[in-house]
Amino acid sequence: MDETNRMLEQADGSEGLSRDTQEGKYMTFKSGPEYFGLEIKYVQQIIQFQTITKIPETEDYIKGLINLRGRIIPVVDVRTRFKQGACEYNEKTCILVINVKSTTVGLIVEQIAEVAEIKKENILPPPSLGRAEKAHHKYVYGIGKVGNTVKLLLDPEKLLYDDDPADMDPAKKGEEE
Amino acid sequence: MAEDFNTESMLDMYLFENGQLLEQLQETVLEQKDADCFDEDSINEIFRTMHTIKGSSGIMMFDNITAVSHKLEDVFFYLRESHPDNVPHVELVEHVLEVEDFISSEMEKIRNGDPVDGDASNIIADLDKFLNMIKNGGTEETAAAENVHEEPKHFYIAPVATSASRFYKIFIHFFPETEMANVHAYKTVYALKEIAEDILYSPEDILTDEKSGETIIKEGFRILLQAQCTEQEVRDMIGVGYDIEKVEVYECDANQFLLGFDFGDQSAPVSAAPEPPKIDLGDTAAEPEANKAETETKKPEEPKITPGDFVIQSKEPGKQKKLAKDKPKGEKASFISVNVSKMDQLMDLIGELVISESVVLQSSDLKVPGLNLDNFNKAAAQLASISTDLQNVIMSMRMVPLTNTFQKMNRIVFDVSRKLGKDIEFVMVGETTEVDKNIIEHISDPLMHLVRNAVDHGIETNEERVQSGKPDKGKVTLSARTEAGKVWISVEDNGKGLERDKILAKARKQGILEDNKPDAAYSDKEVYQFITLPGFSTNEQVTEYSGRGVGMDVVVQNIQAIGGALEIESNPGYGSIMSLKIPLTLAIIDGIVMEVGTSSFVMETGVIKQFIRVKEEMMIHEPNGDEFVMIRGDCFPVIRLGRWYGLEEYQESVEDGVMLILEVEDRKICLLVDKLVGEQEIVVKPIPSYIKKVRGLSGCTQLGDGSIALILDAPGLVE
Repeated sequence: MDETNRMLEQADGSEGLSRDTQEGKYMTFKSGPEYFGLEIKYVQQIIQFQTITKIPETEDYIKGLINLRGRIIPVVDVRTRFKQGACEYNEKTCILVINVKSTTVGLIVEQIAEVAEIKKENILPPPSLGRAEKAHHKYVYGIGKVGNTVKLLLDPEKLLYDDDPADMDPAKKGEEE
Repeated sequence: MAEDFNTESMLDMYLFENGQLLEQLQETVLEQKDADCFDEDSINEIFRTMHTIKGSSGIMMFDNITAVSHKLEDVFFYLRESHPDNVPHVELVEHVLEVEDFISSEMEKIRNGDPVDGDASNIIADLDKFLNMIKNGGTEETAAAENVHEEPKHFYIAPVATSASRFYKIFIHFFPETEMANVHAYKTVYALKEIAEDILYSPEDILTDEKSGETIIKEGFRILLQAQCTEQEVRDMIGVGYDIEKVEVYECDANQFLLGFDFGDQSAPVSAAPEPPKIDLGDTAAEPEANKAETETKKPEEPKITPGDFVIQSKEPGKQKKLAKDKPKGEKASFISVNVSKMDQLMDLIGELVISESVVLQSSDLKVPGLNLDNFNKAAAQLASISTDLQNVIMSMRMVPLTNTFQKMNRIVFDVSRKLGKDIEFVMVGETTEVDKNIIEHISDPLMHLVRNAVDHGIETNEERVQSGKPDKGKVTLSARTEAGKVWISVEDNGKGLERDKILAKARKQGILEDNKPDAAYSDKEVYQFITLPGFSTNEQVTEYSGRGVGMDVVVQNIQAIGGALEIESNPGYGSIMSLKIPLTLAIIDGIVMEVGTSSFVMETGVIKQFIRVKEEMMIHEPNGDEFVMIRGDCFPVIRLGRWYGLEEYQESVEDGVMLILEVEDRKICLLVDKLVGEQEIVVKPIPSYIKKVRGLSGCTQLGDGSIALILDAPGLVE
């Protein structure tokens, strides 16, 4: 965990560093069998898994609220969001705190991998249709190649707000608030 | 001012102390504005306040403030001495407030470094007139009273002498070649003021009269000191510098002290005998003054002067004495202002501290069998209680009661209603409701507008009221409450209310209405909202206070800026209610913390009428699943919180849980929870907007252990 945070710090750097140093860097994490990447500029911090206060009557992927240094933020379970089925939380489980359009949300991820640098030319558009589309693919805007592995690059806005058409409106409403 | 001590900090002190005094003064005055006259305590208090302000302003050489406060002091001196019984009270209140305003505005100038140039002559003339009036109308013709304070250097102070006080006569000789001995002498006096309960020195005009330096060298510098310290300490305070040749310190008793300087004593009057009120004369006598005679004739008549009162000739009341006198105001003086962002930071840090604390205390390392943790547990319990306290303190720190804001409104109602000649009763309800400091700053102006509007437009003139057959006194009620997770601040008047037709006509004229929509299609609420549009005022006449067409729109803007709303209700002919609905984001509530299954909930204490354990046979089950409970012959609908929210591991049986009887707007329901945890003050935070609104929840809060509890919204549950 500490290591990850250090990596994050290195990548994210102090205030002094320009945007450029963040450019092309991705926080990668494992969820289910696959690795995902999220542009580092969205990531605020990584915290250990902590007790979550459940909120009744919300979507299944919204696990509840956590107390982040006095701020109360919602947490989303990425696995459930991707319909990969629930999994037990263990010591590897982390909460990735991201900030998208001034909304702070925690993402519960199975395991943090690394901060990877992915050049633009190594990012490919997501595989086109044909096969049965997996649930998570609609949040993926590209596929990044790192060495021999691929990371699915996530669009955080879609990740948070995009939903089945039926649920679209309330979700949008949440965004406007 | 040519002193070599720090005038800057003196100035700060001056502004701070007088600011406090004025605030207190205004409060006292407004409290009694509706009485027939000031009671004795208030008269004394106003008198003392003016006296203190006069003294300190004199020292700081703000002559206009000195003059005004002096004049008002005269008035109150007369009131206090002669008890005239035909004082026009309201006029007096106005005079006091006028003086208060004048001094406040001058102090503002001082604060900004502007020249203190306010012209006090009008106020002084008014006060003179007023004083003469009450004197001539008074039953006893005691014109002499005025003279007592003719000489501005005379101070009438009531030091609190305690048995521990000791009295010293100090005689300082300076070397003959000392330059500016008066300044050196003042230095000594200044040093002694630190410890002095009372100090008197001669010659006394050492600061203003340069010649006094020569006198000091020739005759020595004499000090009478009352303080709680030993002779040696006094000597140490004075010190022996290169300029001081010799210091003599004699201890004496109180009577001798009051007698004044017995060295070089010209005419210590024999009247300065045991009885304290007379002793004051002894002091003045040390320096023959023209008004001595009047003082003398006046003083013995008043039995209520507390023993120990005497006139001393000092520029400034000693510090310790002041503290003692101001004791009741101590509370006020202990405020400091802190940048709110620092508070936020502190709050976050404490939140974090609490969490790391629980991480430490529940560390798995401690679970190793065979460890002796007795001492650890003791220390841990101590730590836990400290951090809980710490958190409670920080959470309550940002909260400020609305009292001050409401008091200001009191003043506005008073001023405006007087000027407009309307008889208005002002009622405050719930002024102790605590609101976040930020919010108070933002609502003060809007509230002022609303209150002015209510007095100016809302309430009719006295004649109109009589015509429409209303009880003749107008009434403005300012109330605050927390409800439905919001702070509601309402300004209610029993005036004429809003005129729907007039507003509609105006809206039509301004082209706000849709052309093809008939008037009747607009609901009252919609119509009333028109008055919040920019440039919309139905009042034909522009008065001093309102009606310029700006106001309501500014009010709405300001309120919206903090995420609030303005609601307008009106009952034509019977008045209107303007309610500011302010988000609870920062509000604090008293709440009961309870548990259902593994979740914690909080319910505002106010809506809970009763806790009760019920038996299964009290329950009534409807076939459609609705449940009711009979309690002492009353039947209430039941909500099982666990089932309602589909929680896990909640108590199924009503006998294992606790019923809460909630009452919202006359509707009562029962809420079943597993167990109660306790009552505590809760800082309400909104549920992050990412999460959709959940019925029955109005917010969330952080509990002492860092965990989160959801705040139940009683009105939401009732619906």
